[in-house]
Amino acid sequence: MGDILTLLAGGFATAATPVNLMWAFIGCALGTAIGVLPGLGPAVTVAMLLPITAQVEPTASMIFFAGIYYGAMYGGSTTSILLNTPGETGTMVTALEGFKMAKSGRAGAALATSAIGSFVAGTIATVLVTLFAPIVAEHAVKLGPPEYFCLMLLAFTTVSAVLGESVLRGMSALVLGIGMGLVGIDQISGAARYTGGIPEFFDGLEVVLIAVGLFAVGETLYTALYEGRTTTQMNTLGKVHMTRGEWRRSWPAWLRGTAIGFPFGTIPAGGSEIPTFVSYATERKLSKHPGEFGTTGAIEGVAGPEAANNAAVTATLVPLLTLGIPTSVTAAILLSALQNYGINAGPQLFQTSSGLVWALIASLYIGNVMLLVLNLPLVGLWVKLLKIPRPQLYAGILIFATVGVYGMRQSAFDLYLMYAVGLLGVLMRRFDFPTAPVIVGLILGPLAEAQMRNALSIGEGNWSVFVERPMSAFLLAVTLAVLVLPRLAALRRRRSAS
Amino acid sequence: MSHSSSSATHQTLIGVGALVVGGVLAWGAMSLPAGIGYSGVGPAVLPWFVAAALLLCGALLIWQAQSGGFRDLEQGSGAARGDWPALAWVSAGILANAALLTTIGFVLSCALCFTLAVRGLRLSEGRAAGGARQTAVDAVTGMLIAAPAFWLFTKVLAISLPGLTATGWL
Repeated sequence: MGDILTLLAGGFATAATPVNLMWAFIGCALGTAIGVLPGLGPAVTVAMLLPITAQVEPTASMIFFAGIYYGAMYGGSTTSILLNTPGETGTMVTALEGFKMAKSGRAGAALATSAIGSFVAGTIATVLVTLFAPIVAEHAVKLGPPEYFCLMLLAFTTVSAVLGESVLRGMSALVLGIGMGLVGIDQISGAARYTGGIPEFFDGLEVVLIAVGLFAVGETLYTALYEGRTTTQMNTLGKVHMTRGEWRRSWPAWLRGTAIGFPFGTIPAGGSEIPTFVSYATERKLSKHPGEFGTTGAIEGVAGPEAANNAAVTATLVPLLTLGIPTSVTAAILLSALQNYGINAGPQLFQTSSGLVWALIASLYIGNVMLLVLNLPLVGLWVKLLKIPRPQLYAGILIFATVGVYGMRQSAFDLYLMYAVGLLGVLMRRFDFPTAPVIVGLILGPLAEAQMRNALSIGEGNWSVFVERPMSAFLLAVTLAVLVLPRLAALRRRRSAS
Repeated sequence: MSHSSSSATHQTLIGVGALVVGGVLAWGAMSLPAGIGYSGVGPAVLPWFVAAALLLCGALLIWQAQSGGFRDLEQGSGAARGDWPALAWVSAGILANAALLTTIGFVLSCALCFTLAVRGLRLSEGRAAGGARQTAVDAVTGMLIAAPAFWLFTKVLAISLPGLTATGWL
């Protein structure tokens, strides 16, 4: 315990230098802005900014990226409440009650409860990360390649099978992502795979390119093709203020939301959608004002999911930093940022890059305070961003997409490829294929392959190595359960219904 | 008018696309060296696995499309039919940017991309694309976005982006 405090104090000393405070502030402000703006999310923003890893030192850029990740969650709720188009997937549920509240003239209270709730949940979750991450890392050191491979298998399964409507479409997206990850020189044998003799392919497909193509370019093309006639109406923003009664109704919801969100973020269950829905359902069941849900808007329905969202986002840092396993798209891109520095996320990170880890954790405390200030008194400023007309906004996004993709490798070829991936993104969105598995497959695929081959070396070519070790067999069983149990439950429901 | 994402033909084509990609991956896997060494697993194993999985997914997608459509499909948001001219303008912007970036420099090329894309997006909203005056305003707007981004990268972050001149300002 004393150890952790010393390390954390060291982290604060690094994070509180003027330069790092500046990076944290720019990150938080930029994150809030892109969270507010429809069309850009934290994942694609961090992806576009990956080229800076060539120049900025690792601690500063990780603080910067984490600020964007966090800030986007705060900003996303503003858009959900005022526009009813969720800025981020994690704030989808906020739109349900938040928009209703705004319609009945309580936008200010909804914004206040979501900002303060995000702060409370974010801070509690950061405390939990501080306490638990070192413990997890300590135990994770004992895991070998077979266990890692099974953990990654579990992450693949949950990201593609649990999220989204259809297992088949989720799996298709995942396999496509893993396939993209195969392009380039094989790390172990040095064999060139799927390069077609094109020099640009030898280094593999850049994460920036795929993420920016799929999200930013795909989104822009989709908007031009299908969304032109969709109009949105903006609610007016009142005074950002909560009454005593609203405070009393909010705080238990914040705490419950945090308790639900944190565990979901730590397990490879793919992002923050599930915990926000669970929190919403809980609040609806427990509320003393059930009549307000879905009609005039219940404040608990905003407070709970918002807290759950931020707690889950913070908690994704636990598997990311201690195991090197990303459980959300943004976490996957943060992992690839670390890779750009030649830093391998995993249990050794707490020893080899202890300074970076603790500065990052300390910056989360600082970032939460900055975001509270940025989002409560200054919310009016961000709302102005929603006045940017859609054509200019999306055309502008294309410019930033170019900066990110070209800046990474200085290759115009990549820009053509980005367009092709953008078209793929349009198809995937139109036919309801989830895109997160593509990114997770692309980044985690090569790592999983390396672990698999190392594991098989240990087992001297015997695949039974994965079931002979208890921990790895257990993880395989969990993976299987995640795949099979929901199917069985659905089958039983259908049978009892007929 | 039926929604384009629930058309059986379109869905089948998606499945066929997955089959084709799977086929290409399998074809590529054939030329990879088989595994030797301690693990017995070489660089060809995962490609074969991915190819097989994608072929299976493609086949299942086609089967679903032919037997009542993709399961639990949430129709893509927005209009039932695409606005192809709008898409063409935006595409032209991106492709022109890719073609011209290294010749006319980042700022001008991105401004061109912006001008073409804005035109397409405005058309998609059912508004007039605008005459010469509007186009000039768009081009200037594009430059006002592209130039600071360019300076930020070349001057502050020292990441090279192509310029028309070697000064790093344009």
